[in-house]
Amino acid sequence: MQRMALSFPEEVLEHVFSFIRSERDRNVISLVCKSWYEIERWCRWRVFIGNCYAVSPMMVIKRFPEVRSISLKGKPHFADFNLVPEGWGGFVCPWIGAIAKAYPWLEEIRLKRMVITDESLELIARSFKNFKVLVLSSCEGFSTDGLAAIAANCRNLRELDLRESEVDDRNGHWLSHFPDSYTSLVSLNISCLGSEVSLSALERLIGRCPNLQTLRLNRAVPLDRLANLLARTPQLIEFGTGAYSSEIRPEVFSKLSGALSGCKQLRSLSGFWDVLPSYLPAIYPICSRLTSLNLSYATIQSLDLIKLVSQCHNLQRLWVLDYIEDAGLDALAVSCKDLRELRVFPSDPFALEPNVTLTEHGLVSVSEGCPKLQSVLYFCRQMSNAALITIARNRPNMTRFRLCIIEPRTPDYLTLQPLDAGFGAVVEYCKDLRRLSLSGLLTDRVFEYIGTYGKKLEMLSVAFAGDSDLGLHHILSGCDNLRKLEIRDCPFGDKALLANAAKLETMRSLWMSSCLVSYGACKLLGHKMPRLNVEVIDERGPPDSRPESCPVEKLYIYRTIAGPRLDMPDFVWTMEDDSEFRIS
Amino acid sequence: MSEAAMAVVKPEMKSYIWVQTVDGSLQQVEEEVAMFCPMICQERLQTGMGSSKNYAISLPQRVNPAIFGLILDYCRFHQAPGRSNKERKTFDEKFIRMDTKKLCELTSAADSLQLKPLVDLTSRALARIIEGKTPEEIREAFHLPDDLTEEEKLEPLRNMTDDPRIRLLNRLYARKRKELKERQKLKNVVVEEERVDDRSVDDLLSFINSVDGDTKGTKTSKNKKKNRRRKDHIKDPSSINTNENFNKGLNALPPLCHNGVANNVSEASTSNHLRMQNLATVSFSSKHEFVDGGDDDDLDPAMKEELDREVEDFARRLNSDWPERMQEILSLGQERRLVPISVNGNCSTQIYTGLDRR
Repeated sequence: MQRMALSFPEEVLEHVFSFIRSERDRNVISLVCKSWYEIERWCRWRVFIGNCYAVSPMMVIKRFPEVRSISLKGKPHFADFNLVPEGWGGFVCPWIGAIAKAYPWLEEIRLKRMVITDESLELIARSFKNFKVLVLSSCEGFSTDGLAAIAANCRNLRELDLRESEVDDRNGHWLSHFPDSYTSLVSLNISCLGSEVSLSALERLIGRCPNLQTLRLNRAVPLDRLANLLARTPQLIEFGTGAYSSEIRPEVFSKLSGALSGCKQLRSLSGFWDVLPSYLPAIYPICSRLTSLNLSYATIQSLDLIKLVSQCHNLQRLWVLDYIEDAGLDALAVSCKDLRELRVFPSDPFALEPNVTLTEHGLVSVSEGCPKLQSVLYFCRQMSNAALITIARNRPNMTRFRLCIIEPRTPDYLTLQPLDAGFGAVVEYCKDLRRLSLSGLLTDRVFEYIGTYGKKLEMLSVAFAGDSDLGLHHILSGCDNLRKLEIRDCPFGDKALLANAAKLETMRSLWMSSCLVSYGACKLLGHKMPRLNVEVIDERGPPDSRPESCPVEKLYIYRTIAGPRLDMPDFVWTMEDDSEFRIS
Repeated sequence: MSEAAMAVVKPEMKSYIWVQTVDGSLQQVEEEVAMFCPMICQERLQTGMGSSKNYAISLPQRVNPAIFGLILDYCRFHQAPGRSNKERKTFDEKFIRMDTKKLCELTSAADSLQLKPLVDLTSRALARIIEGKTPEEIREAFHLPDDLTEEEKLEPLRNMTDDPRIRLLNRLYARKRKELKERQKLKNVVVEEERVDDRSVDDLLSFINSVDGDTKGTKTSKNKKKNRRRKDHIKDPSSINTNENFNKGLNALPPLCHNGVANNVSEASTSNHLRMQNLATVSFSSKHEFVDGGDDDDLDPAMKEELDREVEDFARRLNSDWPERMQEILSLGQERRLVPISVNGNCSTQIYTGLDRR
């Protein structure tokens, strides 16, 4: 057989590879044969590391010498619900230190749920002459001083996106550190910052950056300054307002409306804190162009929301509070036929009684009316199997389905049965389902369905569900493509975990908190599986001080080729793959 | 005669040049078509070759006569003026319909002739062939050898292959950890993190001073966190109570556990990594040490036996006749067979009530 690889010069093969972008395909290329592995690693430009502890910086650097873009994720997803104690980890410092030396031409750093310090930001600002993109998603540990360093030194910066990060916001002066000669800004997202930025500095900055496409302001930017800002950047595509209220002044209204209309490319709106409904009509003229609308901070009542969404005929993504109610979702179903993603957040999750009329009807409506709907996050207080079955049959193209019935263990409100059948229908009919979150009263039966039908499922979130280890066993043995599994407050113990130990190496991670996994089982798992880090997180003190049969508080298991991490706080223990047994 | 006159007399007369392919065969090709290839153009202009049989332009080794014919077809079409973009696109789409082997040859040949548009066209086509396939399928399509070892093929962790050298590093880490733990037990010192402290007094002083600064910052951000994560926070309202306990617990911890020390820990881990690196490089020079496999880090047989016994003991204590138990439980489960979820007119779910007594 002709050895094609020989007659193909490396540069040509590299050129072919340059058209192959997806992570999966690049993985596959490196597994074809030795020469492709070698060629591929030299032309790998972009690296995504889903778990920063799965591999060490040195390993990445050794294998991929030409990286220009790196993405890292740190804490497990349940950190968003405050289940991961402060100080657990996700420290990016060693990564920054290593890549600062190894990749002087690095252009992009994207971090999610990681801890980054001002020192690291300063190191980034100093080390990469061609640095272009910094995205810090749900990160923490830094202050506006670090941002000042970035602003002052990164001459080629295009994107600075702080989405949902916790920033020690000392003052708004950092923005003034962008030099007058700096003009390359394309995207700026400071919506998470608390303090005021200098508005004149902001106006000057955006005025001199002709390529600005995304501008997401923070709450402190007053409504009456928006018109001036927008006037300087008519090419804007995505815009996030600050607080959306002000004294009622007709000239403010008309100027704002005019400025918004002047942005002919505007497709996405967000912000809308503290909405004064009388200012909403200012955006009516541009509603028909909008494809994305984030109203998750907007306390707008149902009638106003109906007026708004009824005009957004091209809307593809809507994030909104449950003030929209069933009536608003009915309107959405009628007007927004292009809708792909819907997220409905609870306005008052801690209220004992529902404060709005948002039920399963709203979601059923949207599932009927919006043929392209594939991604749903829905908080509500009641659900029925019938509704879930209907939704599943309406939308077999669903890929992400996250249902959060606020009160745990809520049964089908019509029949008082568990919601096993409903979720079973979702996994059975939605054959491309990749992400699923469960809620409500659920027995082991629902896991049987998921294990049988959830063949493409990659991420599953489970809370207050199941009866026994059989539930967990169904998931681990049935879901062939499972990558991330997170479980809280379920009666799952040692047996299913140990019986399916090998499965864990095929997944990115498993999180279990307030379950019934014993310390002894954790030790055994850690011992038997050297390529897993089995972390016991327990704030009650060392697990050694309790009987081995005692369940651990929290357990985080992830595959790794870097061995146990060395930066653990004192409430985290990694189960050793030997020597735990050597105590004599 | 002047050029214009020539044109008038023989408007159809084309100029031809001579080329020679790697197999030695000679052919005449239309000059304007061949000159579309930068390599031929350059050769012609710089050396004047190609005007006669004896001074034919030698084509690069990767260009055989059949492939050259295809390339000429491409050039003939595209060098002609007045073609619309649509026409060109249509031609290109038809042009690249050929088997993979030929496509590879074509890409290679186009590259050696520096014909970039054709290189891009064929490269994209090859990329589309590769996308979505498994490694085995790609090997078949391109006739590539399966020469990665089993170790090297271990399923990648999101882009990382388990390089054999990485497993060696792991073993070294494990050994190092063991050593440190043993030293720790001997000295009976409680160490927060595993770090070797070789800093000067000045360093230590500045570290102590900087910790105070950091904790202030950390405290503020912690307070914010309670209020901030409103929309995500309510995955489950009962989580609130547990959070209060967490916060209490956190406040009891000394400030060193916050970001202040994290920096130093990370530095320590970096230095550990580097030291691991040094250890590793020393060991690599004598490759044969690591040829033999075995996960037990060169334990002596008596130790290994002790370990195995302890593991068995543990397994027993955890009631590890579990495989048999599991079979039992699974067969019980199968009696309640999965009923296909059907919906009659009123979406009745009565089928399930008999089975799920809750």
